Amino acid sequence: MNKFIAPEFVSRRVVFALVVSGLFGMLFVFMLIEFDHQTSTEAFCTTCHSMELVAEPYRQSVHYNSPSGIRASCGDCHVSEGLIAATLDHIIGAKDLYKQLFGPDYDNPVVNALHAPDAAFAARQWFKDRDSATCRRCHTQEIISGRRADTLEIHSEGAKGKTCIDCHYNLVHRHVPGQQVFKREAWNRMIEEEYKLEPGTAEKILKGEAAPPALTQKEN
Amino acid sequence: MCRSRSAYLFLFLFCLLATPVFAAKVKLDPSNWGLEAGKECIKCHTKTSAGIVSQWQDSAHGKQGVNCMDCHQAETSDVDAIEHEGYTIATLVSPKDCGRCHEVEEKQNSGSVHVNAVASITGQRRFMTEVMGNPAFTAASCDQCHGSVVKVKGDGSLDSSTWPNSGIGRINPDGSKGSCSSCHGRHSFSKAQARSPEACTHCHQGLDSPDKEVYEASAHGRAFASQREQMNLHADSWAAGKDYAASATCVTCHMGAAGKLPSNHDVGLRSAWKLNGPVSERHHLVIFEDDTKMNLAESAPKPARGDLLKKVDGSEAKVKVLVPADRRRQAMTQVCLECHAKNTVSGFMQQFDGLVEGFNSQFAKPAQAIMLGLYEQKLLSPKPFDEPVEQTYWSLWHDAGVRARHGAAMVSAEHAGWQGMHQVAQLFYASFLPQVQALGAPAEALIKQHVLDQPEHQGWLQQADRPAWVLGVAEGKSTDE
Repeated sequence: MNKFIAPEFVSRRVVFALVVSGLFGMLFVFMLIEFDHQTSTEAFCTTCHSMELVAEPYRQSVHYNSPSGIRASCGDCHVSEGLIAATLDHIIGAKDLYKQLFGPDYDNPVVNALHAPDAAFAARQWFKDRDSATCRRCHTQEIISGRRADTLEIHSEGAKGKTCIDCHYNLVHRHVPGQQVFKREAWNRMIEEEYKLEPGTAEKILKGEAAPPALTQKEN
Repeated sequence: MCRSRSAYLFLFLFCLLATPVFAAKVKLDPSNWGLEAGKECIKCHTKTSAGIVSQWQDSAHGKQGVNCMDCHQAETSDVDAIEHEGYTIATLVSPKDCGRCHEVEEKQNSGSVHVNAVASITGQRRFMTEVMGNPAFTAASCDQCHGSVVKVKGDGSLDSSTWPNSGIGRINPDGSKGSCSSCHGRHSFSKAQARSPEACTHCHQGLDSPDKEVYEASAHGRAFASQREQMNLHADSWAAGKDYAASATCVTCHMGAAGKLPSNHDVGLRSAWKLNGPVSERHHLVIFEDDTKMNLAESAPKPARGDLLKKVDGSEAKVKVLVPADRRRQAMTQVCLECHAKNTVSGFMQQFDGLVEGFNSQFAKPAQAIMLGLYEQKLLSPKPFDEPVEQTYWSLWHDAGVRARHGAAMVSAEHAGWQGMHQVAQLFYASFLPQVQALGAPAEALIKQHVLDQPEHQGWLQQADRPAWVLGVAEGKSTDE
């Protein structure tokens, strides 16, 4: 006979509740995994038009078209590894959705370009805070030896106290200068010139005092 | 007033004579260079741009411990500052940067005609871009010698329509003018390279300043080509006659040390004539109180010390000293005298002046007066180059005329003659005058006024029935006699 005897309080109901909640728990975890997976894809990210603008340069980059056949999608770089970290990133990232709905019109290319530096600086800081963890998903620093003598040295001795993003930025999205040399005024003038706007319009758009020109992004 | 001017002249000449005969040595203490941060750069750059590193290592800079950061350091507030592997640097090194150590050269150069090379072609450049319709033309041609106005984009990168550029009058992001690397090729900065004619002739050749062709055909060019090894080009001190005597290069005459004359990075200092305009004129050198300089035509009203005068770039400044054209000629003569006898030199100068003056009076001035008359009487549209006579006039003074005058300046018989005055005369008599004539009676009146009635032209234009054997139809008959 069965030597294991359940204690008194484990009634049939309790067993049932445990099994059901266990199953729900598992389902929840599966859903989270699936949720994190689905919300890390390029297809999901670009459902917002503003992200389509960001994806354009990405599709020209080597992280999209790698000769090795490996493609890093949005989440591979911008969402942490691990269920909890990934879920947290997505929860925190939901502020982007809030801003997309209630903030400036990021779908407008001009508004998008004017805000690009702030987004870039925030993203770089995010990488730095995590010691470029998402880069390291694919790149193993210790074995970067390249074809020339110094490459190994640069990535070992030469990289002490540095993390990937310190040197390797502006690889994928629109070129944004380093934060310490960034000049907002010059950036604004460049965007105005790019979209043939009157000087000073950029500041007004940023303050919400002027509407950005009615521009639609290129249709794919 | 006159007395005070001569006093300044004396002072100026005294300064010329009192300075040492070779290029100023860097007087800074070596503790001023060799920045710690700059020692890191080559770790990567021996890999990513090995050529640059190896040039630098073999250069005087490399040997003295001047490293990448000494020249490329930048403040975060600099418009062209970029963040590069944790350091704030600038790609473009301006004369201001070089001048931190090479103070004397920077100062001399910053007052020279070279640094105004952008302002001096503003009109031509506009024609090239606007009329010919393509800014890419100027970026790849004009700007490569004259210099671009370097544009820094809002993302800190240098606009590719203005960079890369090593034009001699480049307008830099820090506001300075010029580019040392135009002659002192980076990153070896070789003395020999800068002293060689090639340092100058990559720009000074072709239609508007045919110095390469003229120099190569001259006695100096021929001697240089065959005796380059005797030119001592790598020497520290490089005074003509003392450190070398095999030949003269562009630098020898226009910048180099010779006898008591010190070397000077103001390249136009010793040139008395302006040789590449429609009509040549001798020019004085105006030195302003801010130490910038400007050529001033001899015919212009002579300014006195303290007078306000408009500079090439349009701004105004107070005149400090006026160096007359004669003094500039004297300085040039001093170089010649290191290798040539006094009479030879003065004889040569007279031959040179004679050709330029003849070109002026016989062809340049009458042609210019006729052109002005044609525009005034609206016989030509104001638009340039849409009528054949405009193209002829341009070829007359610019192509052939510039060649003839340069040929005389540096003694190339070929360029002074067949490719110079021969073509000037051909264009003048066989194209220019007939094309003017075709514009009708008022135009013919202009020819009479400016050509036929002038004594210089009565030689053969007025003697239609006088045969000459020179054409070849009556060879051997001496019909000229």
